[in-house]
Amino acid sequence: MERGFELMTMTSRERVLGLFEGKEVDRIACYSGMGNVTTAALEQLGYRFPEIHGDAQKMAAAGASSYHLFGYECAVIPWDMCVEAEALGCVMNAYEDVAHLLYPTIKEKIIHAPEDMSKVTIPPDYPERGRFPVVMEALGAIKKEIGNEVAVGTWLLGPFTLAGQIMDLNDLFKLVFKKPAEVNALLDTLADGLIMVAKKYKEAGADYITIREMGAPTDVLSPRSFKQVIKPHLEKIFSQIDSPKILHICGDTNLIIGMMNECGADAISVETKNDLVKSREVIGPEPLLFGKIDGYNVLVNGTPEDVERAVLESIEGGVDAVWPACDIWPTAPLSNLRAMVETVKKYGAEKWARKNR
Amino acid sequence: MATEKEQELLEKLANGVVNYDEEAVKEAAQEWLALGLDPNKAVFDGLVKGMQECGRLYEEQEYFVPELLMCADALYAGLDILRPHMKSEDVGVRGQVVMGVVQGDVHDIGKNLVKVMFEAAGFTVHDLGRDVPLEKFVEEQLRTDSEIVALSAMMTTTMVGMKNIIKAIKEKNPKAKIMIGGAPVTEDIAAKFGADGYAKDASNALKDAINMISSLRDLT
Ligand code: B12
Repeated sequence: MERGFELMTMTSRERVLGLFEGKEVDRIACYSGMGNVTTAALEQLGYRFPEIHGDAQKMAAAGASSYHLFGYECAVIPWDMCVEAEALGCVMNAYEDVAHLLYPTIKEKIIHAPEDMSKVTIPPDYPERGRFPVVMEALGAIKKEIGNEVAVGTWLLGPFTLAGQIMDLNDLFKLVFKKPAEVNALLDTLADGLIMVAKKYKEAGADYITIREMGAPTDVLSPRSFKQVIKPHLEKIFSQIDSPKILHICGDTNLIIGMMNECGADAISVETKNDLVKSREVIGPEPLLFGKIDGYNVLVNGTPEDVERAVLESIEGGVDAVWPACDIWPTAPLSNLRAMVETVKKYGAEKWARKNR
Repeated sequence: MATEKEQELLEKLANGVVNYDEEAVKEAAQEWLALGLDPNKAVFDGLVKGMQECGRLYEEQEYFVPELLMCADALYAGLDILRPHMKSEDVGVRGQVVMGVVQGDVHDIGKNLVKVMFEAAGFTVHDLGRDVPLEKFVEEQLRTDSEIVALSAMMTTTMVGMKNIIKAIKEKNPKAKIMIGGAPVTEDIAAKFGADGYAKDASNALKDAINMISSLRDLT
């Protein structure tokens, strides 16, 4: 009886982190390892999207907003994939003067020729460069504000995706074939930098970290290439950063799900294109698998009924946390986001395969 | 009928593309020219045939994007040697295309595959790259007098930007044909935005472009 009471009063934080610690938790949690700010929140806060990437206070307020607005069970920052590259000398574009919502991109890269690959080094003060300190300050602020109630998350790019930010991705693709040793050396260097930053992010207040290797699904790369240039570096990263740590890859991942599971993460997160039932056939019931609500087609364009259907499909597909397939697209209406959280609350115990084994 | 030697060289060209073996392609192209054979045939029955096989391997998930880009490089190596020797009427220049990914969008993998198909088929492609501001498309179309403008977008918000580009180009040059594509784009959206065409993948994009060009030429 007493234990039941404990389970019933679990906070989102205990629910999210308890799962990684192997504790019994009451139900599946509804959260994310990736961006989930909404335009509804930005309007309330009076911020424009380009402003929240470089100001710690605004970043913290926007990061905590989904918990406040629709009971999302996490707070995650940042939203753009330029932080790691900027700290290496790239220049980002936040599209300050474009009226509609655009995600920041890198406008100046640092590798312009294959020879430049070997010139990349990680400065000893890498985590103090660029916007890393902004992210860390914001992590601390969020932790202080709501850290007792929800888990605070952050994310870093995988080394291959980061390489695609600091050099032309087309060139990188070809160099995987033409100069594999040089590519692997570069990715190994980048992995060292990411490990340094992951440690600092944890110290700054991150409860869990997602590594997003979004440039490596089989829409793009072969399983053979995944094994040669993606997996070894992810293995290195996961062996050297603290738990909880999650690996996320967008796009098609069924052909590589077995290898993703061997990278050493505590959980793997997949996109809408992944067939969960087939994934479970490969990895079995034990590994933690998160996913896969389409952050645009369902959460923005769908109705609350579509959202409920998508949530049930993920839960019945065998996920251990309902995560969106990628960033939640900011224009998603709150009614849909509430429907997502409510559906998970309603069915997250009863239909959770792990709980009912 | 191709002689045995011709056949051997055509196969070397096609296989060179499939195996992304630039050297083999270059050798075969040079040998072909040294024998005084028709360069047009080497392009279409050798290089392009090889590229079509690559497309098939891609659909079967035998090849992936990097492999296709490597094959394309082998194809270009052959084209560089053969094209200068083609008589202008057979160069197969089907037309000119301005191509790019719209502002705010870095997803250019799909666009690059479309570009390869167009170049292999004899189009001249003016590639503006990714994250291209609206005005650039308008300027480049006017500068090159290209028949077609091909716009790519992989995100819904950036896709919305296509509407204004289409309007701006049509204002300056009502004759220009505009085709759009990328994962969020649909036939309906293309119609709503006033585009002349939409295709779900690179090979359909090419078919549409060829139809557009023939309809333009029928008009004149
Ligand atoms: C690889 C990838 C990336 C790579 C892109 C690398 C590059 N240089 O292209 C990286 C890691 C950089 C990336 C970044 C981001 N991504 Co991304 N990415 C993808 C992914 C996994 C695959 C896309 C791909 O290349 N497919 C393979 C190619 C071959 O297919 P294709 O592009 O569709 O092209 C074919 C057709 O569409 C057509 N076609 C394409 N162009 C054209 C043009 C014409 C004229 C025609 C006729 C046809 C045509 O022919 C092509 C060949 O057959 C998708 C997931 C998915 N499910 O698609 C997400 C996805 C597109 N990304 C997404 C997001 C959110 C982002 C980011 C905003 C993340 C962030 N927090 O910053 C950033 C973008 C920043 C910016 N401002 O641009 C979302 C977009 C959601 C939405 N609103 O629609 C997606 C859908 C993931 C998801 N499930 O939510 N991404």
